[in-house]
Amino acid sequence: MSRQQADAADTPRGPFTSWVDSAIENPKKVYRAMFFVVVIFFLFTTLFPIYWLLMIALSDSNRVSEGVGLLPVGFDPSSFVEIFQQIPLHLYLFNSFVFAALTTVFVLVVASLAGYAFGRLEFRGKRTLLLTVLIISFFPPASFFIPLFQLFSQQIAFLGLTPPELYSTPPGVVIPLSAIFMPLAIFILTTFYSQIPDGLEDAARIEGTTRLGALFRVIVPLSAPGVATAGILTFIAVYNEFFFSFLLTGTAAQDWAPIVDGIISYQSQFQVRYDLMAAASIVAVVPVAILVVVAQEKIVSGLTSGALKE
Amino acid sequence: MATISLRNIRKEYGSNVAIENMDLDIRDGEFVTLVGPSGCGKSTTIEMIAGLTKPTSGTVEIGDRDVTNLPPKDRGIAMVFQNIALFPHKDVYDNISFGLQLRNFEKEEMDRRVEEAADTVQLTGMLDRMPTEMSGGQRQRVAIARAIVREPDVFLMDEPLANLDAELRVHMRTQLQRLHNKLDTTIVYVTHDQAQAMTMSDRVAVLDGGKLKQIDPPLECYHEPANRFVAGFIGSPAMNFMTGEITPNGFSSESGYVDVEFDPSEIGVSPGQEVTLGVRPEHVIPAENATGEVTAPVETYTDVTEPMGDEIFVYLVTSRGATVDMEDPSASGQILMSVGPETPLETDEALSVVFDKTSLHLFDNQTENALVHGLAEPSRVDAATGAQPGADAEAESDD
Repeated sequence: MSRQQADAADTPRGPFTSWVDSAIENPKKVYRAMFFVVVIFFLFTTLFPIYWLLMIALSDSNRVSEGVGLLPVGFDPSSFVEIFQQIPLHLYLFNSFVFAALTTVFVLVVASLAGYAFGRLEFRGKRTLLLTVLIISFFPPASFFIPLFQLFSQQIAFLGLTPPELYSTPPGVVIPLSAIFMPLAIFILTTFYSQIPDGLEDAARIEGTTRLGALFRVIVPLSAPGVATAGILTFIAVYNEFFFSFLLTGTAAQDWAPIVDGIISYQSQFQVRYDLMAAASIVAVVPVAILVVVAQEKIVSGLTSGALKE
Repeated sequence: MATISLRNIRKEYGSNVAIENMDLDIRDGEFVTLVGPSGCGKSTTIEMIAGLTKPTSGTVEIGDRDVTNLPPKDRGIAMVFQNIALFPHKDVYDNISFGLQLRNFEKEEMDRRVEEAADTVQLTGMLDRMPTEMSGGQRQRVAIARAIVREPDVFLMDEPLANLDAELRVHMRTQLQRLHNKLDTTIVYVTHDQAQAMTMSDRVAVLDGGKLKQIDPPLECYHEPANRFVAGFIGSPAMNFMTGEITPNGFSSESGYVDVEFDPSEIGVSPGQEVTLGVRPEHVIPAENATGEVTAPVETYTDVTEPMGDEIFVYLVTSRGATVDMEDPSASGQILMSVGPETPLETDEALSVVFDKTSLHLFDNQTENALVHGLAEPSRVDAATGAQPGADAEAESDD
């Protein structure tokens, strides 16, 4: 011990060495350092692409092809205006928003009913049914695209019936996407609904609701965090969804084309407007960003009100 | 205001029979308590009255209306739950008025009724609070206000006081009785706490293993239990039981320590019949204090004493140092005696005790039904007329 102290006194000590010494004495410092390393790494990988996108969007459109580094080449924020002038971007945004909103509402209603059944009722074959839902969610969506496309564009009949033309309509996108994102919502809501005490549902039914009334008046409000989580996940997933929303709609905004179609149309035969694409991408993020911020407040308030003390 | 009738109700959960062919009639305005040990079917019964559970067979009638297939909301009932079950996302006003809102009441009428209900349970001025901001007793009162605000025909209460602390429980017990006096509504009350059952009810329905064992006024259940189960369940501490058989001169216990003299023919039993003698702790008397009609002395040793303040519970064993079977203390010769607080007693000393003959009970071992209450005059029950027709009839048919 005394020799170590003597050594320490002899050798000149840099700031790093002394930090290491103090870290050995106080390991919490190391954990904190590791925490910051990980957080900074995640923030960098998630935020840097958006930052770079912004730099491209702010660059001078004629000089983008020169390559954009950490700072924009030239400075021309007019691309944020031009994106709406060249094409009706707001309509493309609206289309994607409608898909996401409709799917979310539909998924939440149906998954609530399913979550109620799976979470609160006892019936024969419950496990099997729940596992089936899980297995279906593993199914690659692309594998049923071709028949679905033919069905929606009235090329084949289903059970001898030709459905209405769903191609290029909101239901054409909402139906398959609801099916794809339903299992996750069912699982989330099942967990939440099963945790609401039976007494509350019984009380609601005694007070005058039906089982369905109890679900929507008592169980759903009390499961607000779960419903918000399922809703946000579905909304973001559908809003970002490419495959079905792109292929099951036309390319024009009037044909219910989603954002991706809009962004692609900045690419013409003779030039690719990367700055417009970048600007449009950033604008497209805004609605989701707002939604998450708003709903996050809901989630937090739902968690903190935590009135289920009984 | 309504009567409740259960007709031949049976409830099965898979292969388990929760309720076995129960008939139960509850009169208009009556306060009936369903009492019994855990798993006896009392909660299932009240849930079937409420409509939260459907009976496997049989019918439920409320106010002469067959409600077996009606949902809870159409039965004209209100219920108070063990876990209180206030809606945590609604304030007190919304909790109380929830049922009224669902029935589209006018705003003024709703306000008036909520105020009145809140007054009744002394919650005035708390209508805008959230349930989480209230104490257990206040929440329970909100739950009661929620029940009375709809002016239902029947109140159902499923262990409403179980989650309250002891002091509050006694207080709320009184409040509930006042409420019953004021509202005069039929109340069905479930509890496993016999103190609540005894103190509050007009009649007590004792259930065990899905069967109705007895339904009578509390004191009748206490003094004239219809069968061994009721005798053991009602009364705290529990009745002492001694198995034995009828001899030509009376009763002789299996253990050989207890003998009671009486004329078997007078009470309609025959020698050789296997019976259980029941005696409540307060009817076990130290021989030196004995007065009136008492049995021959039983030689015992004091084992454990429990001074309660107003009385002392003394555990007696018939042989010194005997091991008492924890599962069935009565069988291994333990006798519990309750004596006045001034009685001088030491542990582990010989004590001769007698039983008050007027308060002895005999139960048939096979049917477990009561044969007679009181082996000497003044008898509390006239065995000939039979205050318990069912029990007596069965007892006689067994002779």
